[in-house]
Amino acid sequence: MKNVYVLAEHRNGTLRDTTWEALAAAGLIAPGLGAGVVCLLLADDVTGMAGKLVQECPKVIAVEDPAFKTFNSDAYIKCLKSLLKDESDYVLLMGASNSVIDLAPALSVELDASMATDCFGLEVKENKLFALRQIYSYKINALVSFKEATRILVTLRGGSFPFTPTGQANGALDRKDSPISSEKFRKTFIGYEEAEKGDVDISTADKIVSVGRGIGDEPDMDVFQSLADAFGGVLACSRPIVDKNLLPKYHQVGTSGIEVKPKVYLALGISGAFQHVGGIKGSPLIVAVNKDPRAPIFRVAQYGVIADVNELAPALEEKIKELKG
Amino acid sequence: MKIIACMKWIPDTSEAELTIASNGKDIKKDDLDYDLNDWDRFAIEEAVQLKEKYEGEVTAVSVAPEDAEEMLRECLARGADEAFQIWNDAFEGSDGYVIARTLAEFVKKRPFDLILTGTLAEDDGGGQVGGMLGAMLGVPCATLVSQIEISDGKARFRRELEGGLYEKVEMELPAVISVATGLNEPRFVSIRAVRKVASVEIPTIDIDELGLDENQVGLAGSRITVENVFLPPEGEGAEIIKGSVEESAARLAEILKEKGVL
Ligand SMILES: Cc1cc2nc3c(=O)[nH]c(=O)nc-3n(C[C@H](O)[C@H](O)[C@H](O)COP(=O)(O)OP(=O)(O)OC[C@H]3O[C@@H](n4cnc5c(N)ncnc54)[C@H](O)[C@@H]3O)c2cc1C
Ligand SMILES: Nc1ncnc2c1ncn2[C@@H]1O[C@H](COP(=O)(O)O)[C@@H](O)[C@H]1O
Repeated sequence: MKNVYVLAEHRNGTLRDTTWEALAAAGLIAPGLGAGVVCLLLADDVTGMAGKLVQECPKVIAVEDPAFKTFNSDAYIKCLKSLLKDESDYVLLMGASNSVIDLAPALSVELDASMATDCFGLEVKENKLFALRQIYSYKINALVSFKEATRILVTLRGGSFPFTPTGQANGALDRKDSPISSEKFRKTFIGYEEAEKGDVDISTADKIVSVGRGIGDEPDMDVFQSLADAFGGVLACSRPIVDKNLLPKYHQVGTSGIEVKPKVYLALGISGAFQHVGGIKGSPLIVAVNKDPRAPIFRVAQYGVIADVNELAPALEEKIKELKG
Repeated sequence: MKIIACMKWIPDTSEAELTIASNGKDIKKDDLDYDLNDWDRFAIEEAVQLKEKYEGEVTAVSVAPEDAEEMLRECLARGADEAFQIWNDAFEGSDGYVIARTLAEFVKKRPFDLILTGTLAEDDGGGQVGGMLGAMLGVPCATLVSQIEISDGKARFRRELEGGLYEKVEMELPAVISVATGLNEPRFVSIRAVRKVASVEIPTIDIDELGLDENQVGLAGSRITVENVFLPPEGEGAEIIKGSVEESAARLAEILKEKGVL
């Protein structure tokens, strides 16, 4: 391999954590592949961000163009294609973010690269790259390799590659001209829309009772609200509950919902998909109730009960009331 | 408006106990129930709602074995006008690239304004077929999309970003849109609705009709090789509270009290 490229991701002029995590991942695999690490920064104003990147990465290629103010996949593909079209023997790493999920699949076709998405581990054995992913509702791990290994694109699960800054890279900055000539893209950004706010703010709650799809197709939400009340906490939920309009979006915990950091998080009928668990990392005490003993949630919980939530919830409410007196 | 909805038939693994197949490269699937991928239920519903709003036709298509016919029939009952099943045993083990390529060949032969897919399939967690398909067809694509409106040959929608933030986007048609769950309320499918479409023919398309050969599909055509699969290591894990519902609830309440969070 010649290079391990890292695509810098940013929003509103600030580099996102995914960038640093991808740099950490690049640092892990580059020695085994005998490759250098190169960061690719596409932005409307590169100076500040490039300055930060050269402290941690030996080489930074920066392309400045107003088209990169937001993460428009059309503009990104155009530019990355022009940067990498003559290259082979590379791995391109980027965070598996909601912006990258819009870019990576199409880019892999345009670059004619083999792609593995949402990888949480990378290994190099005898110069060959292997990636770890999760399949089947995140319950099974899979080790995958790349058949055509000259051009590889990997997207990385958030939080899987912790980054420790050194500030020592003293990297070189290579500014390249933008290949974009004031053209119109088929896709245009109109604006951001902030999250809807509601009568509760789960992000500041100390105690959270959170419900997931396991509460059933036609659940009695009063049972869980009443448990939350007895407990002195707020009611939150996983994504499918919002999808079914059982609770408003501002109750959703997770990467596309709200990050919470309560003193205690009670997960009822929640499988523990990483997009959900990503939102409760800040909680020191997680208690899970699930009827499947192999549910991934039990790997992050400190206490677990294997039971039907609809039976356990009212019983727990009783006991809580008794103990509270 | 001509809309093509791509539907995936997947094993329901959310509550099942999973075991690894003897070759170590997949799970045992014989005892699992199969169903339409949850994200695709929202995609077919959106296709039908857009048709009802803007007029047009909906075609459902799936690269899936024979048993999946019932899923495609369900799509007809949901309001699709026609459905196609693409299969040959050689498809077994195909990765997302092969599926996208196959769907691209299928689509090339028919005009369309919009292709709808789910953003992600819960079996392979790939989140890639929609975007790959768009690039192969040379049309723009977007993922995690909700609130779609069509006017003047353009789609206007919002995309989900992190932390509850959305971005509003406009995209020229034809295009591929991969929907987010929750963008609509998939309708209830009555037995009557299924009966009404019981006699509709669902043509099966073989690979040669798409100009592909066996080496281009299945494991042979895939770009990703699964070396092995395994159950995640148990790790520390949770301390499991045992007993009847009554006993567990009592113990749990005590623990909450001990931890000082009651
Ligand atoms: C880009 C992206 C962003 C996402 N963002 C989020 C997010 O912000 N938040 C989020 O939550 N998800 C998010 N998801 C979805 C996520 O991947 C999962 O699909 C979702 O978290 C699953 O919700 P769940 O655990 O409620 O349902 P499931 O995964 O279906 O789990 C239900 C669980 O309930 C158990 N169960 C069933 N019946 C019972 C019973 N009677 N008693 C006890 N247990 C029972 C089952 O064993 C199972 O473990 C996102 C996905 C993507 C791709
Ligand atoms: N075999 C298939 N047949 C039809 N559509 C598919 C198939 N596989 C994936 N798709 C579509 O692509 C989306 C994303 O799937 P994936 O890339 O596997 O996560 C799904 O939600 C489907 O809409």
